[in-house]
Amino acid sequence: MSEEKQLDLSQQKQPVSTAGQADAEIMTLRPLADIKETPEGVSVYLDMPGVAKDALDIDVDRNVLSIRGAINLHTPEELKPSYMELHSGVFERRFTLGDELDSANIKATLKQGELVVFIPRSEKHKPRKVEIKVH
Amino acid sequence: MISNMLRFPLSMFDDDLDNWFFPESRTVSRRTRAGYPPFNVGVTDKNVDLYLFIPAMDPDTLDVVIEKNLLSVAGTRKLAENDEQQGSYSLKERFDGDFKRVITLPEDVDTDSVEANYEDGVLHIRVAKPVVSQPRQIQINVN
Repeated sequence: MSEEKQLDLSQQKQPVSTAGQADAEIMTLRPLADIKETPEGVSVYLDMPGVAKDALDIDVDRNVLSIRGAINLHTPEELKPSYMELHSGVFERRFTLGDELDSANIKATLKQGELVVFIPRSEKHKPRKVEIKVH
Repeated sequence: MISNMLRFPLSMFDDDLDNWFFPESRTVSRRTRAGYPPFNVGVTDKNVDLYLFIPAMDPDTLDVVIEKNLLSVAGTRKLAENDEQQGSYSLKERFDGDFKRVITLPEDVDTDSVEANYEDGVLHIRVAKPVVSQPRQIQINVN
């Protein structure tokens, strides 16, 4: 099931021709991410500079977490770009969530271009300490 | 141990596929290998505008110096130190540590007239062009 989903998405991203590839790559930027795991859950940290709260979209469809944010630099209209390292105006990245994560209780905070998404582990998947009684 | 390596609670299938199939694909990391932070520069008739993509910083800790047409930005990004929660990282792509970038501005500027703003993790620096190099409308007189 999840394998199928993954294949579908990967094919969407696959360009038809080399020209198509160039276009597709310019369309969105993949934000750099760190992923940290704790017994409580998983935190994803993403660098999305220039993205304001109202320009950010986070959604979960089945087990795929999609994050998308539009960059708005409030540039003056008459500005002529002379050098650019960030070409696209949109950050986008997707993650597949494992079954042990509780996608209904995701928390996200955005502060100065850094997005933190926390996905808790489902209760039954949290590690439990087993007490060993010695008689 | 091995089962742990094979089974992440979260995976990045799109990225992995990209890396296998399109090693040259243009991503933030590949584009910005030249240095941190990445930046864009643009010009208007009156100013040179720089946008430095430098999220989650305390702007007071940034060292921005402008001299002639060279602008340098230096600072330290402490991701791990600011992190109180213990845990293990399964992915670490973001820049962490000391950085310094020196940018040559495309035109002469008036270093006395500089404005800097930090919003949504973008440092915007606006430097005015010297008045002499700003375009002037020439009035044509008819005799």
